[in-house]
Amino acid sequence: MVMPNIILIIATGLGAAFLLGLLREEKRLSAYLITLAALAFMSLISGLWLIAFAGGAAPIEVTTAGTPAPFAINFKMGLAEAALLLLINLTALLSAIYMQQTMLRLGRRIMAVFLIAVMAVSGIILTRDVFNLFVFLELVVIASGGLVLMSTDKRALGAGFKYLMVSEFITVFLLIGIIFAYHASGSLNIDTMAASDMLAKQGGALAFFLILIALIAELKPFPANGWALDIYESAHPGFSALFSAVFATGALFAVDKVLLMGGTTWLPLATGIGLLTFVASNIMGLAQHNDRRLLGYSSIAQVGLVLAIIGQREVLGDSYLFVAGGILLAHAVAKAGLFWMSGMFEARDLKDWTVLRQKPLMVGIFITFIAMLTGLPPFPGFYAKWELVHGLIAHNQFWLVAVILFGALIEVTYLMRWFGYVIKRDAPRYTEDTPFHKELVVVLAAAAGWVLAYVWGELSAYRNLLSLAEGNLLVVLPLMFALLFFMIDGLPARIKNIIAIAGMVAYFIASYSSYDPLQLIFGSIILLGGAVIMLASFHAEGRRTGFYPSAMLMYAGLALLIIAENSFAFFAAWEMLTIGSYFLILRGKASEPHALSYIIFSLGGAFAILTGFALAAHGQAPFEIASLADVREDVAPYVFILLAVGFMTKTAAIGLHIWLPGAHAEAETDVSPMVSGVLLKAGLFGLFTLLMTMGRQHLGPVDLTLVLLWIGALTALLGNLMAAFQEDAKRLLAYSSIGQMGYALFGLALMNKLGWLMALLFVINHYIYKSMLFLSVGGVAKRTGTRAMYKMGGLIALMPLSFIAVMIGIIAMSGVPPLSGYGGRWVFYNAIMSAEHRLPMILIFLSGPIGFLYLFRLVHTIFLGQLKDEHRRLKEAPFWIILPQMIYVLFLLGFAVVPGLALRRVDAYLTRFFPNEFGLDWTGPAITSEYGYWAPVSIMIVIGVIFCLVLGWMLFLNRNAQKVKQFNIVYSAERPYRPETTHYAWNFYAPYRKALGFMVQPFVTNFWNGIATALHNLGDFSRRLYTGNGQTYAFQMLIFVVMAYLVSRGMI
Amino acid sequence: MSLVTLAMAGGFALILIGLYGALNNRNILRIIIAFTLANTGVHLVLVAVGYMPGRTAPILDAAVPVDQANALIIDPVPQALVLTAIVIGLGVTALMLAYALRLFASRHTLDISKFTELKW
Repeated sequence: MVMPNIILIIATGLGAAFLLGLLREEKRLSAYLITLAALAFMSLISGLWLIAFAGGAAPIEVTTAGTPAPFAINFKMGLAEAALLLLINLTALLSAIYMQQTMLRLGRRIMAVFLIAVMAVSGIILTRDVFNLFVFLELVVIASGGLVLMSTDKRALGAGFKYLMVSEFITVFLLIGIIFAYHASGSLNIDTMAASDMLAKQGGALAFFLILIALIAELKPFPANGWALDIYESAHPGFSALFSAVFATGALFAVDKVLLMGGTTWLPLATGIGLLTFVASNIMGLAQHNDRRLLGYSSIAQVGLVLAIIGQREVLGDSYLFVAGGILLAHAVAKAGLFWMSGMFEARDLKDWTVLRQKPLMVGIFITFIAMLTGLPPFPGFYAKWELVHGLIAHNQFWLVAVILFGALIEVTYLMRWFGYVIKRDAPRYTEDTPFHKELVVVLAAAAGWVLAYVWGELSAYRNLLSLAEGNLLVVLPLMFALLFFMIDGLPARIKNIIAIAGMVAYFIASYSSYDPLQLIFGSIILLGGAVIMLASFHAEGRRTGFYPSAMLMYAGLALLIIAENSFAFFAAWEMLTIGSYFLILRGKASEPHALSYIIFSLGGAFAILTGFALAAHGQAPFEIASLADVREDVAPYVFILLAVGFMTKTAAIGLHIWLPGAHAEAETDVSPMVSGVLLKAGLFGLFTLLMTMGRQHLGPVDLTLVLLWIGALTALLGNLMAAFQEDAKRLLAYSSIGQMGYALFGLALMNKLGWLMALLFVINHYIYKSMLFLSVGGVAKRTGTRAMYKMGGLIALMPLSFIAVMIGIIAMSGVPPLSGYGGRWVFYNAIMSAEHRLPMILIFLSGPIGFLYLFRLVHTIFLGQLKDEHRRLKEAPFWIILPQMIYVLFLLGFAVVPGLALRRVDAYLTRFFPNEFGLDWTGPAITSEYGYWAPVSIMIVIGVIFCLVLGWMLFLNRNAQKVKQFNIVYSAERPYRPETTHYAWNFYAPYRKALGFMVQPFVTNFWNGIATALHNLGDFSRRLYTGNGQTYAFQMLIFVVMAYLVSRGMI
Repeated sequence: MSLVTLAMAGGFALILIGLYGALNNRNILRIIIAFTLANTGVHLVLVAVGYMPGRTAPILDAAVPVDQANALIIDPVPQALVLTAIVIGLGVTALMLAYALRLFASRHTLDISKFTELKW
């Protein structure tokens, strides 16, 4: 096939711009069409070349002036160039379509300037000549100076002038650098200069530095970037999209090219400036309220990250282009898309984006862009992030990884906070009438994002998350099933619910035979257990927009997590379930801040897991999860710590728990059991996997499993204690989950067979009773309209089924016979009998009775005592919320009689890990251990008989009692200021609080809040650097250049 | 002091004066003039780098036969560069002046420190 000459890209842009000059002023539509046609043609050429290079064509060189380089300017075109040109020209085309009204209003001149700008950026990509690079760069500056004025914002005028001032400085550095580099090397051709001994000659290094720093200055490095922020804030969004996605791309590529001349010695400078910019801009982004300025900070940060990666290209080796390209393209598409979106309405505060809610599609697109920026699966940034961390860790760049992940977490914070605003804040009354072409451009950008996601999946060395062409259908289906719900989100909720339940059950049936016993337990809880909870979702009416895609994404992640065989699959599944559950949690009425802290902790944990995997991989990614057992001894303890911390963010171990109470309590009625009963198990599964493969680890003299043991014991104690002091019933249950997870962690950390068996029992039991309790309390809250326990009371007669569920639930949970909780306790006591650590054991023992305190409070204050007057006409909770509870009651009773059903096989399975330990003997009706036996059936009978006797006796005694109506009571003439304080259920355990309250002071919450406040204040303080004065900006540029030189020469 | 050194020193002096002037004057017109000074300095440096004593202009005619050109003429590249740089400098200066006009029209002042409504 004959390929078009690449010079046509330049010629088309230039030619069309001149052609526009020949048109008459009134022929605006023709001019506009010519502009679009030129951009489309330029995109087409780039696209054709991209296809050719993707097919394996060799890079080509094009000479100009009939002379080969270095005697004339030459262009080079390869895969990277073609990809970037396509990005540049397509973005420009879309931006031109987007700015239709503005362009038609301003006429052919602005279109010509626009074309020149795009042509010049394409030239920056193509040219191999330094001076030519300078010319194209100046063209971009001059064209930008014109395009900034498209804005209707009067302030853009000042911003444009500041930009020109700063670029005058850049020009001086660049020209001086070029001429002395020419003097030293005798050439202007980048490749020839790279081959020369220029840097060794006198002044050669300084000349190179000036060229490099001038180009870096175009990337808006911190702190010499105030001018760029002003432009981002005030320019037309169509231009800002170009400024962020296209111009920065050009400048980055120029830096990449020029760095060739400097060899490896200058790479650290790029990394240093890039990292500083990335972290500083993100911290300052925390303090922003203006959407476009925030996008500006984020743009600068992302470009800084790519610059840092360019500095690491030697380290990254073959994966350099994949990493840098993935982050750059995801950034460009998402940022252009967000800038375009920002032009769809007038108001400029982040909270004004709530207007998007009028169109669910736009919300979906918004989250697509946010996910692309934060590197979530399945977008390119996800693969790039994985590859980047692995590459850097393999070369021991630990600090680099830490700083990058820290910056990324801050960016996640403000982007997700923004998403929270969009979803949760009050929507404006007015409606925006966005023109069709603007929406089209935004939709196309989002579509491009998904295409990129697919392409990057194909390019990656790992599984393409979006591809159907993978061998094992069971691995492919879950995500596809979840994505299906994005398509059918318009259907009524009930129909979607049927499809969801059917899908989960069918998947379980299909996978059943391939699960090992451990997977079977987790799989049953996730898929069957999840399906049972979803029965409660039948209660919801209408469409319930957004619920099913989120829930199914979470379940898909969970289902994939337990079958993940290698580290990549595991991590991808982990991120999926995290995002899905975040969306689910965010749905609660008052859950915005809690969902935010959930996602920050979760992604922080995910980063720890990623780093742990990278450390364990040792250049061999992805590795089989099973081979965690073979990690080198010197890194093994660190791998263990990182993974354990990551998993413990999900199980909400003490210290990392502050997100849980709010997230679980504020969630919707059927979501609370999902995120509590099911989701928490992901963390436990991780811990199981970790301990099964890595076993005991020591860091110096410290036994790390002993540390886990302590964390487990403290979590159990403090979680239970905090639960006992809650007024809010759902918060009580949430804190109780923290305690329960502490038990499970403790059991695991015992590192013996019974301990693990107990942990597994907790996995099952916690799912059942926590789901059940959340549903019944949720049902009660639905009817009473409150979650505060002191506002309830005496509901036993009105809501008997809910009462039964809670009663059974707390019997099971408190571990009194005869229900399954007792079995758990029994195994537990057996397990700790054989453990050697006494002190944490005492803590665990102590937390038992405390646990009983909060359970008693739950049943007593809600269902017993006096009925509130306003609750007299309450009905039982809705049928669909009761139904799963009754299923749980039956199951609990059944499980209590035949616990061996599930546990026998697991016991046998665990023997593999503890071959020499005595487990349990399951033969006969009783289960026997070293220390005694447990006969579930006899216990059930005994308890049943005792219960009936006592009940009969009480009924007998009650027969003569006189009934006293509720209002037959004389109140003293008090007038309390807070009436609830006179209620017996308020501060139920006041004496205990007096004694133990010091242990539940919010130390941890204060600690994390302190960090958050400090970072915010730092951001708010540092951004005052940008005074708005053009001279200050120019001076900062000067200082930046001088400092960069001194640092790079080792003088500072 | 040779001509080259003089030109070079003069060029750098102009650059420094220009940049200092741009940072030290609040009036936008003065800033623009300071930048043109700096630009002129850069052009002078460019030419000075390409200059070789005792040689002639890089024009191939009767006085400079093609086969001896290498020894007779100065390096033409910096001269070509300086021409381009002058043109670009002119473009930027024109654009800045246009900005100055519109800035004055919007606020009736040319004080750069008055245009700080965008910040932080």
